[in-house]
Amino acid sequence: MVGTPVLFVAIPLLAAFLIPLLGMIWKELVRIVPGLVLMYLMVLSINLLNHVLVSGPIVEVIAGWAPPFGINLVFSAFSGFLVTLMIFLGLVVWLYSYRFKRNVGFEPAKKYFLLLMMLITGAVGIVLTGDIFNMFVFIEITGISGYGLTAFYTGRDSAEASFKYLMLGSIASTLLLLAIMILYSQLGTLNMAEIASKIHTVNPTYKVISLILFISALGIEAEIFPLNGWAPDAYAEAPGPVGAAFAGIVVKASVYAIIRYIFTIFDISGAYSFLIIIGMMTLIIAETAAIRQDKLKRMLAYSSIGQMGLVLVAFGFGTEEGVFAALFLMLNHAIIKSLLFLSGSYLVYNSKDKKIVEVNGMHKFLPITSFLFALGAFAIVGLPPFAGFWSKLSVLTAAADSHMLFVLALVLIVSVIELVYYLRVVNRIYFFKKGENVDPKKPTFNALLAMIVLGALILVIGFYPDVITGVIHKASADLMDKTKYINDVLSIKQ
Amino acid sequence: METYSIIFAIFLGGAVLTYFAGKLNSILQDILFLGSVLVPTYLFFSGVSFGSAMPFSLEGISLLWGIDHYSWLFALIVLGLGSLAAVYAIGYMKGKERKGYFYFNFILSVMSMLGIVVSQDLISFFIFWEIMTWSSYLMVIYNGKDIQRVGIKYFVFSAIGAYAMLMGIVIVHSITHTFFIEDMIQAYGHMSLQLQIWIPILFLIAFAVKAAMMPLHVWAPGAYSNAPMAYTSLFSGALSKMGVYGMVLILVTLVSRLPQGIWFREVLAWLGGITAAVGTLWAIKQDDAKKLLAYSSVAQLGYIITGVAIGTELGMLAGLFLAVMHALFKGTLFMAVGAIEKQTGTTNFTEITGLIRKMPWTFLASLMSIIALAGIPPLGGFVGKWMLYESLITSDHYLLVILIFFASTAGFLYCYKFLFGFFLGQEEKEWEHVKEAPATMVVPMILMSVFMFVLGTFPGIILKPINNGLMDLGFVDSYKHLWETSVIFNNWGDHVILQPILYSIIAIFLFFLILVVWKGYKGTRYVTTKDISTSGEVPKEDENLTFSVGFTQPFLRAVAPVMRRQIDKYYTEFAKGLEGLFEFMRRIYTGNAQTYALYVVVFVVIVLLFKDVLF
Amino acid sequence: MEEVLYNILGAVVTFIVAFVVGMTYGGLTRKITARVQNRKGPPFYQNFIDAFKLASKKTAIHHGVMHLMGPAFLMVTSVMTLLIVPVLAGNNWFPNLNFHGDLIFLLYIMTFGPLGMALGAGQTGNPNSAIGVTRGLSQMVGFEIPWVMSLVALMIQYHTTSITGLMEVQAQSGTWLMLSSPFAFIAAVMAMFGMFRYSPFDIVGAPTELASGPVSENGGKFLFVMMSAGSVFTFAKLTLYVDLFMGGASNLVVLLIKTFLLYMIPVLYGVTSPRYRTEQAVRWFWGWPTFFGFLAIIQAVILK
Repeated sequence: MVGTPVLFVAIPLLAAFLIPLLGMIWKELVRIVPGLVLMYLMVLSINLLNHVLVSGPIVEVIAGWAPPFGINLVFSAFSGFLVTLMIFLGLVVWLYSYRFKRNVGFEPAKKYFLLLMMLITGAVGIVLTGDIFNMFVFIEITGISGYGLTAFYTGRDSAEASFKYLMLGSIASTLLLLAIMILYSQLGTLNMAEIASKIHTVNPTYKVISLILFISALGIEAEIFPLNGWAPDAYAEAPGPVGAAFAGIVVKASVYAIIRYIFTIFDISGAYSFLIIIGMMTLIIAETAAIRQDKLKRMLAYSSIGQMGLVLVAFGFGTEEGVFAALFLMLNHAIIKSLLFLSGSYLVYNSKDKKIVEVNGMHKFLPITSFLFALGAFAIVGLPPFAGFWSKLSVLTAAADSHMLFVLALVLIVSVIELVYYLRVVNRIYFFKKGENVDPKKPTFNALLAMIVLGALILVIGFYPDVITGVIHKASADLMDKTKYINDVLSIKQ
Repeated sequence: METYSIIFAIFLGGAVLTYFAGKLNSILQDILFLGSVLVPTYLFFSGVSFGSAMPFSLEGISLLWGIDHYSWLFALIVLGLGSLAAVYAIGYMKGKERKGYFYFNFILSVMSMLGIVVSQDLISFFIFWEIMTWSSYLMVIYNGKDIQRVGIKYFVFSAIGAYAMLMGIVIVHSITHTFFIEDMIQAYGHMSLQLQIWIPILFLIAFAVKAAMMPLHVWAPGAYSNAPMAYTSLFSGALSKMGVYGMVLILVTLVSRLPQGIWFREVLAWLGGITAAVGTLWAIKQDDAKKLLAYSSVAQLGYIITGVAIGTELGMLAGLFLAVMHALFKGTLFMAVGAIEKQTGTTNFTEITGLIRKMPWTFLASLMSIIALAGIPPLGGFVGKWMLYESLITSDHYLLVILIFFASTAGFLYCYKFLFGFFLGQEEKEWEHVKEAPATMVVPMILMSVFMFVLGTFPGIILKPINNGLMDLGFVDSYKHLWETSVIFNNWGDHVILQPILYSIIAIFLFFLILVVWKGYKGTRYVTTKDISTSGEVPKEDENLTFSVGFTQPFLRAVAPVMRRQIDKYYTEFAKGLEGLFEFMRRIYTGNAQTYALYVVVFVVIVLLFKDVLF
Repeated sequence: MEEVLYNILGAVVTFIVAFVVGMTYGGLTRKITARVQNRKGPPFYQNFIDAFKLASKKTAIHHGVMHLMGPAFLMVTSVMTLLIVPVLAGNNWFPNLNFHGDLIFLLYIMTFGPLGMALGAGQTGNPNSAIGVTRGLSQMVGFEIPWVMSLVALMIQYHTTSITGLMEVQAQSGTWLMLSSPFAFIAAVMAMFGMFRYSPFDIVGAPTELASGPVSENGGKFLFVMMSAGSVFTFAKLTLYVDLFMGGASNLVVLLIKTFLLYMIPVLYGVTSPRYRTEQAVRWFWGWPTFFGFLAIIQAVILK
C-alpha cells in the first residue's frame, strides 16, 4: 500500500488549520506549506491511481466501522482520476498565486491559502466519500470556503457576489438535506453502495422526488441553468486563480456528485435524458449569454458554465463512450479554462472594470501571457491539434453513436458561437491598439510557470492524446460498472 | 512509411524554428523558411510513391496516410504553388513586420493542405482541415484591418462548414465504426436513403464554404483581400482548391452511386454557374485590385464547381484542369498585385496608372495570367473553358452554358480593368519613381506564366495526371490515349487541335507586328502619354487625362437591378438579429439575488410537477 | 512539308480575297449610307485609296510596346477567324485550318484581337480609347448572349460543335438552317448588329463623342493594319453566318451574293437610327434577341 485515501482529506484539512499557526512562526510558511502539501498529495494520488488502475479500487473505512455503518472513502479509477485532476489544479493555482499574494499582505494571504486548502479538502472529499451525508458535509466545506474566496477582494461587488453565492448555496444545502432525509427515511442507510443495492425497493415517487432534489441542490453548485445565477458574479469578482479553482475543482466535484447519484445510486433511466435536456439548456443559454458580455471574466464564467453543460450532455448519453467523452472534456476543460482564467486575469490585471476592451493590444506588453490565452482560446473551442479537439470529437462521436443527431447539431451550432466570442477577444489582444489608461502588469515568474505548464499540457494532449486516454477509458469503465462498485464497498469487512 | 513522418516533422519543426529564428537573424529566418517549404516538397515528389500508405493510430483511432493519383494532382498544386509563393514571399516580406508570424502560418498552411490530400481517413482529414482554417484565418487578420468583421466572418463560415463536415464524419463513424474514407465509401451503399442524402450534403457544405460557392461565399472577398498578397496567392490558388478536392471526392465516390444524385449535381452545377456570374459582376464593380481578384476568384471557383458537378468525364477534366490553371493564373495575379502594392503602397486602380514601363515583368506576368483567366487561346485557360463548355453542351445543360458564357464574357471587363488600371493609361509623375519588384518576386510570376503558356498548347501534361486521378476515383477512361497529343475532344468527336493554332497565331502575329514596326523602327520614337491628340488638341502638362473612376459604369448601369440584392446584407441582418437574441439571453442573468433564488424555486417546482413526464 | 506550304498559300489567297471583298463592302456601305442620308458619298473604292495611303505612311512615333503590338493582335483574330471558317463548301482550295477548331474556339479567338488591341489603345493614354474599349466590352457582353444562345441551339439540335459539321447537316438535308432553325437565325442576326457596330450600336467608335475611340491614337501603318483587319473580319464573320445559316456557298459568286445580302441587314437597320447609350444597347440585346435565343433553344431541345 502506497498510501491511503484518507490522507487526501486529512492532510489538507490539517494544513488548513495549521496555516494560521505556522504563519505566526514564519510568514512565508503560509505560502510554502500548501504547496508542499499539494505536491505530496499529487505524488500520492498519482501513485494511488497507478495502483488502482492495475489492481482495482481502494475502499478505506474510517474509524473502523465497516460499510454500510461507517463512513468509507472510495478511491477507484473514476474518483481517483478526478482527485488527481483536482489536486493538480490546486497545485497549479497555488503555483500561480504563490508570489501574487505577496502583494496583498499577510492577513489576506493567510486567509486565501487557508480557504484554498479548505476548498480542495471539500472538493476531494466530495469525490472520495462513499456516504451521502458525509458528502453533504464536504459540499458545505467547499461552499463555505467558496463564499470566502469570492469575497476575497473586500469590495462592494465581491461582497454582493459572495452573498449571492451564499444565498443560493444555502438553498442548495436545504434541498440536499431534504433529499438525504427522504432517502434515509426510506432505506435507513446513508451509505451509497448500500443505497444503490436497495434502491429498487423504494417507492418510485419518493425516489424521483429525492433525485430531483439532489439534482437541483447539486445543480446549483454545478452551475446548471437556471440554478447558476451566482456563478457569473462569483467568477467575475473572485481573483483569477479562484475562478480557475471554481471551474476546475468545485464544479468538477459537483458534477461528480450528480453523476454518482444518477449512474450509481439511483436506477432511474429517465434521468439520463433529463441530464441531456438540462445540459443542453445550460450550454445554449450560457454560450449565447457569453457572446454579449463585456467583462472578460464574466465571459469566461459563462463559457465555463456552457462547458459544464456539455459535460452533462455527454454524461447523459449514458454510454461508456459518453462517459469517456465527458471525463475527457472535464479534464480538458479543467486545464484549458484554468489557463484562460489565469492568463485572462493578468490581461485585465490593473484595469478597474475588467472589461474585454481593456485587453486591446496586450500582446506587446505581455507576449507570453497573450500567447497562452490565445492558445487556450483555440484549444477550448476545439480546434485541432489542441487538446480541446479530442474531447469535442469524443463528445460528438458519442452523440452520433447514441443517435442523438439533434443534440449533435445543436452542440456544433453552439460551438460556432463559442468560437466567435473567443476569437473576438484574441483579435483584440493581438490587433487592437492599447487603451491609453491601461497599465499592463507583468506576470510573476511562478504565475508564468503555472500557465506554461498548462499550455504545454494542452499541446501534449493535443498532439498525443494517448498519454491520458488510457486512464480515462479505465475511469469511465469504472463508473459504468455499478455492480462492481457496490460489491467492492460492501464486501469490506473490518 | 517514413517519408510522411519526415515531411510533416520538417514542416512542423520548420514552422516553429522559423518563427523563433526571426529573433536571431532575418536572413537565417528566410533560409529556414524556404527550407521548410522546399525540402518537404522535394521529399514528397522524390520519396512518396503511390499505393503505399502509412497507418498509425491516435487516441484509439486508426489513421492512414497515403496518396493516389488523384490526391497527387492536388499535392502538385499545393506544393508547386506553395514553393513558388514561398520564394515570392521572401521578397514580399522583406522589411515587413511579423515576419515570423507570417512564415509560421504559411508553412502550417502548406503542411495542412498537403495533410488534407494525403489523409486517407476522415479524422486526419478534419484535423488538417481545421489547421488549414485557423492558419489561414491568422493570415487573414495579419494586417489587423477590419478583423472583427472580415476575420470573424471567415472563421464563422469556415467553422460552419467544418462542423457540418464533422457532423457527417461522426455520423458515418456511428455506422461504420472506422474513420477510413475507404470504409465510408464501402458502407455508403448500405445506408438508409436519408443518410445517403444527408451525408453528402454535410460534406458538401464544408467544401462549398472553402471553395467560396454561393451562397456561402461572402467571406471570400474580404478574406482574400485582407491577407498579405504573398499568402493570398496560395489562399486563392491552392487553399480554395481543397474545397474542390473534397467536392470531387464526395461527388464521385458517394453521390454518383445515389439515384437521386443527379439533383446534387444539378444544384451544385447551377450554384457554381450563379457563383461565376455574380462573382464576375461584383468583380467588375471593384476599384481595389485585391477585391477585384477576390471576387474573380469566387467566380473562377464557380466555373470549377460547375465543371466537377456536371460529373461527366469531360466536365471533371474541365473542372480539374481549370483548378490547376486557376492556381497558376490567380496565384500569379495576386503576386503581381503584391508586387505593385510593395512598390507603390497602394492597390487602388483610381490611384495607380501607367506602370507598364516601370514594371514590365510584372506586366508581362499579369498579361499572361489575364489572358489565361479570360480563357483566350492560345493560353491554358482556353483549354479548360473549352472543355467546360463542351461538357455542358454535350450533357444537356443548355441554359447553364449561357450563364457560364455570360460570366466569362463579362469577365473580360474586369480583366481589362485590371490591366488598364495598373499598367496602361496615362503615366503620372506620382509614380515615376516606381521600380520593378525584386527578382525573388518576379521570377515565380514569370515561371508560372511560362507554365500557363505551355499548358495552352500541351494540356496533356496536366490532363494526363488528371485522367489518372479520375481513374483512381473510379472513372472509366475513354480518352486516355489522346492526352499524349495536344488535342482536346468532346463527346461528339469535335475537337480543337492546338499546335497548328498556336503556330498560326504566332506566325500571323509576328508577320503583322513586323509589318507595322519593320520599316524605320529606328525612326519611330517613344512619346509620352501626354503627347496625344484628343480630338486634335494637344493636352497641357497639368491636364488630367487619367481615366479610372467609374471605369465600368455603363455596364454596371445595365446590370444594376441584379446587383441591388446582396446576400451579404441578409447575413448581416441575420447576425444582427441573433445578437439581439443573445442580448435577451444575457438578460436572463439579472444580477439580482432574489431573481436567482426564484429561478431555483421555479426550476424545482417545474421539475417536480413534470416529474412523470421527465423521468 | 509540302502540305504546310499549300496551306500557307491557301491562307494567303483567302486573306487577299477577304481583304478585297471586305474593303469593297466597306466602301459600298459608305456609299449606301450617304445615299440614304441624301449625300453623294465617296466612291466605293474609296477604302482602297485610304488603305494604300495609310500603308505608305512612315511611322514616326509610338507609345510603347503594347501600342506597337495592338494592330497585330487585332489581325490575329481576323485572320484566325478567316482560317477557321470554311470559305467555300466542299472546296479543296480554302481548307486552311477548318478542321482544327470548332465554334467555341471561334467564339474565343474572336475576342482575342479586340482585347489585344484594347491593350494597345490603353497604352496610348488617350482616355477616349479606354472609354471606347469599356463600351465595346460591355456591348460584347450584350450581344454574345443571343449569339451564343443561337449557336448552342444549333449545336444541341445537330449534335456537333463544328462549323463543318453544321454545314454537312445542311448539305444532307438540303434545307438551310435559317429555315429549319428560324429562331436561332433571328437571334444570330440581331446579335450581328452588335458585332458589326453600325448605328445604333456604334457606341465604341462613336465619332462625335469619342473621336473614334480605341483607334484614335493610331495612324499610318497602325491604322492600315487595323482597317484591313476590320475588313477581313467583316468578311470572315459574314462567311461564318452564311456557312451556319445559309448552307455555305459552293463558289465565290454565290458567297458574295449571300454575304452582301446579309451584310445589308445591319447596315440598313442602322442607317437611320441614332446611337444608343451603352446600357441601352446592352439591354436591347438582352431583350428580344435573347428571347429569340430562348425560343431557339426550346426548339432545339424539342427537335433534338
